[in-house]
Amino acid sequence: MSIDFDKQVERTAPARVPALEVRGLVKHYPGVKALDGVDLVVHQHEVLGLAGENGAGKSTLLKTLVGLVKPDHGEIYVRGERVRLRSIVEAADHGIGMVFQEQSLVPNLTAAENIVLGSEGPGVRRGIYRWDAMRRLAQEQLDKIASHIDPLARTDTLSFADRQMVEIAKVLRIEQRSQHPPVVILDEPTSVLESKEIETLFTQVRRLREFASVVFVSHRLDEILDVCDRVAVLRNGESVGEVQVAGTVPADLHRMMIGSTGSDDHYHDNVVERSDEAPAPRLTVRRLSGRTFRDVDLDVHAGEIVAVVGVHGSGREDLCRALFGAEPTTAGEVTLDGKPLDLSGTRAACAAGVGYVPAERKVEGMVGPMSVADNMTLTKQKARCSGPLVSPRKQASLVDRWIDRLSIRTPNRGTAIQRLSGGNQQKVVLARWLVGGDIRLLLLDHPTRGLDIGARSEVYRLMRELSNNGVATVLLADSLEEAIGLADRIVVMSDGRVATEVACPAGAKPTPLDLVKEMV
Amino acid sequence: MSTPVTVKPMAEPVVVGRGPSLADRLTSFMPVIALLALLTALTIADPDFLTRRSLTAAAFTAAPLIVLAAGATLVVLCGGIDLSIAAMASLSTVFLALWLPDLGAFATPAVIGVAALFGAVQGAAHVLLRIPSFIVTLGGMSIFSAVALVVSDAGTVPVVDDSAISWLNLYVATYIPMSVAVAVIVVVAISLVIKATPLQSWVRATGYSESAARLAGIPVDLVKIGAFCVSGACAGLAAVMLVSRNFSGNPSMADNLLLPAVAAIVVGGTAITGGHGSLWRSLTGALVVTLLRVGLPIVGVPSAWEQILYGAIIVAAVALTLDRSKVLIIK
Repeated sequence: MSIDFDKQVERTAPARVPALEVRGLVKHYPGVKALDGVDLVVHQHEVLGLAGENGAGKSTLLKTLVGLVKPDHGEIYVRGERVRLRSIVEAADHGIGMVFQEQSLVPNLTAAENIVLGSEGPGVRRGIYRWDAMRRLAQEQLDKIASHIDPLARTDTLSFADRQMVEIAKVLRIEQRSQHPPVVILDEPTSVLESKEIETLFTQVRRLREFASVVFVSHRLDEILDVCDRVAVLRNGESVGEVQVAGTVPADLHRMMIGSTGSDDHYHDNVVERSDEAPAPRLTVRRLSGRTFRDVDLDVHAGEIVAVVGVHGSGREDLCRALFGAEPTTAGEVTLDGKPLDLSGTRAACAAGVGYVPAERKVEGMVGPMSVADNMTLTKQKARCSGPLVSPRKQASLVDRWIDRLSIRTPNRGTAIQRLSGGNQQKVVLARWLVGGDIRLLLLDHPTRGLDIGARSEVYRLMRELSNNGVATVLLADSLEEAIGLADRIVVMSDGRVATEVACPAGAKPTPLDLVKEMV
Repeated sequence: MSTPVTVKPMAEPVVVGRGPSLADRLTSFMPVIALLALLTALTIADPDFLTRRSLTAAAFTAAPLIVLAAGATLVVLCGGIDLSIAAMASLSTVFLALWLPDLGAFATPAVIGVAALFGAVQGAAHVLLRIPSFIVTLGGMSIFSAVALVVSDAGTVPVVDDSAISWLNLYVATYIPMSVAVAVIVVVAISLVIKATPLQSWVRATGYSESAARLAGIPVDLVKIGAFCVSGACAGLAAVMLVSRNFSGNPSMADNLLLPAVAAIVVGGTAITGGHGSLWRSLTGALVVTLLRVGLPIVGVPSAWEQILYGAIIVAAVALTLDRSKVLIIK
């Protein structure tokens, strides 16, 4: 990675008063201790990383810092002065702003409007927009981060990465409010960016350090170590320590996060040798075209994991959905075990033994208020029915068997799935395709998104087990490393077409760099 | 396929979210509490209220409302709304009155069948043309009203020989009006069928999260069309009950039942956002609404105020039952 700005670890005049400090922060929710005595110091002109598994309390802590959550106990100091933050506006008055994980821009307004939205200042006079002044204000903000985005471009025409830049520019408006160097919180800013965009973001974060403090949250430990000066680690709502990034490796952080050493065999490489006699592929895709992909050819054999990688807009998500009948196709032929696969709807795909795990688990993957049992048997109704009627006994034994088999941590099968942790939710979603016993092809769209390391590892192991049992898998991985670690073969997509295919056997894995050059 | 998957459990809290709170539990019993409170209040206001005569009168009023609300509840459970039920019922009273002389006993199934068909057509329009159900059924409401006016020549169609439908005015076990018994049987039958088959999962999943339901391979479109079809059939049955009481059909006979029916659904605690609720709740809701209707004159409130009350209780009940986690932006 090219670095324009040296990591300025030793600063000339270390600011004595921290930009932001919290002491003994406690927040209880019914039945859960989200924060249990968190201490945190953010120095001026520092990029502080915040690491922790899901449920460690990161989100609650961040929300406390911008006034969205009121802590039960504990104090917050801004530049040495104790403050009470009751709303996001009060936080902004003290110079604290956050770029949210889900983007919060209005798509049909211009970048300039979005940047000044809510704090128009001279951009509005007597209730009327003054476009010139507004564009100037927005330009000032964009200049701060040396961005070349046109302030008059409509937000929905910008790329995801550009929109994130607009958000950062918007957050920096708090400088005007507090007259102090701001504290900018970035909540998992890289989770939906592709690697090239991530580099741009990092350049930006290093630039921010020149005039602001940054709190940077990410699930990817290598990123944290790359861009931060110091890392604070949370575990079960408590601060468990902090480290300088110099000399720290991801495994060290991982150990702090989970309280023990991480497993080396992270992706659970196959130990089972597969015969290479190459029978006919289970899935064949020939010249398949849809809205965002064209002339795609793809073969997947039984027991094979094929990862499809590509940048945002490569069309791989739509391809995946199209194979499940959830996205229209315009041309092409698809066969499953030699028989033509009906792509007209999801029901036909399910009946043919195709399963799909969507990226948006909470919205598309599961029905939150329904029970674990009902979610698990949602698709394969036959598995829980005797004739046309649901057999509660049959359902109970089936579901309990799978809860046991996948070690799903739930009080019982009747618990609403939305009350489980992300990893356990995902296991229920996966189990939905397994309970019928007829799964032949699994389409996994970011199956580990938002899961912590422990849960990821379990999902990886499950995928391995399934492929060892002959299930063909198409994987859209969360990161290139994940794709490389799990896949037997990697298909690189670019602009809706298959750019190339890379073999990816255990022991002879390609590097991320090999793939990146094909992706763009 | 047997998959011997062994995954070691990890250390984390078993349950992260919060279960139903005391307030939630209380809200779910609210319809029953309201029903009992109303009964008590009315008995205190007028000790004669608990006589057979006034209770029977109330029951006869309740029957068509229960049936209307029960049918429309299915649509609401799927996440839609059916505003055409009252107009459909009015149209059905006209059809029934016109067909009784020729078809006799077959007029009843014919009317219910036609209403079911119209319901299904609305459902199909909603699903295939991808129009919000609220718009489709608002249009349907207008169309059905107009058709009723046209076929009835804008007037009441008297029923001279009501022998084919007069059985609804009999009593079961000397006390319970037949029409109420039929209404309860309809609720029980539909509830049982849903409960005992995959329909329960399908309807709830469709209502809670249509995209998740679709991606789980649930026949979402058919489920929704089916719900509208049943809603239409129930409107047809309600019309039969109305005609049996009024000895005539009229193009606006059931029109004033729309608001009470919607009120019954939401007062019962079925979430207007879909997924959560049941036909039983609507039955309770319909009884609450009926008691209000017959009770207001007893406590001396002029009947002109009735509509204010419906408006107010719909808003209040939705405020209590709305799943705000699902509707991020209220439009």
